[in-house]
Amino acid sequence: MQNAFEAIAAPRRRDILRLVHTEELTAGAIAANFGDVSRPAISQHLRVLREAGLIRERRDGTRRLYSADTGGLDALRDYLGRFWDERLETLKTEAEREERSKRNA
Amino acid sequence: MPDATKTEAIVREIHIDASPETVFGFFTEPDKLTRWLAEEATLDPRPGGINHQTHAGGPDNPGGPYFMRGEFVEVEPPSRVVFTWGFENPEVDIEPGASTVEVTLDAEDGGTRVRVVHSGLPESELAAHREGWTEMLGRLAPAVEGRSRGT
Repeated sequence: MQNAFEAIAAPRRRDILRLVHTEELTAGAIAANFGDVSRPAISQHLRVLREAGLIRERRDGTRRLYSADTGGLDALRDYLGRFWDERLETLKTEAEREERSKRNA
Repeated sequence: MPDATKTEAIVREIHIDASPETVFGFFTEPDKLTRWLAEEATLDPRPGGINHQTHAGGPDNPGGPYFMRGEFVEVEPPSRVVFTWGFENPEVDIEPGASTVEVTLDAEDGGTRVRVVHSGLPESELAAHREGWTEMLGRLAPAVEGRSRGT
């Protein structure tokens, strides 16, 4: 997480994150938003963000596309997975109790 | 090309030492459903019938209560029940009707093999998470700027 904190400490990198959090963009499209920043500097920022796990890089033919890696869906899936694990254990306990009481009735 | 925002279904299976008939009731009868899944339930177990549940918050989701507003899609005792799954609470990123829970009950070794497939977890969720993401950045930025100023 240290890396992520460091990665977003630079205002420029936060600007880049905001750009790619709603759409996938190429480095060129990202650079086009910053007239005062060189392409190599943008590439360097993208590398830092990627290494910090904040953006994803995807190849599409010869292009490389960048998008924010929010982890949001993974978190929801993890939560629901644990939810069903716990609830089904309780279902097992309760249904088996019900079955025993039926048999003894 | 695979859609990066599509989520795979959550699949869980468990063996229960009770007949499919017994287990089935735990999905369709309020007094039984509230013994394992929800605090309160209003159930009309027929296709198109309501499946409303109130869930308490837990250690993972202290907000609560959460109002699940689903609808039965298939009801085939004692082997299969399907219902939609979504929440009235705007802070939960699954809207009513957005996802589906498919339950299959098969007789197995004198008991029941229960299979739950929770699918259709919506892509639109990503948007809600992104809101949270931007907020998080907004909160973090002053902190990290304070720490790293001059470096």
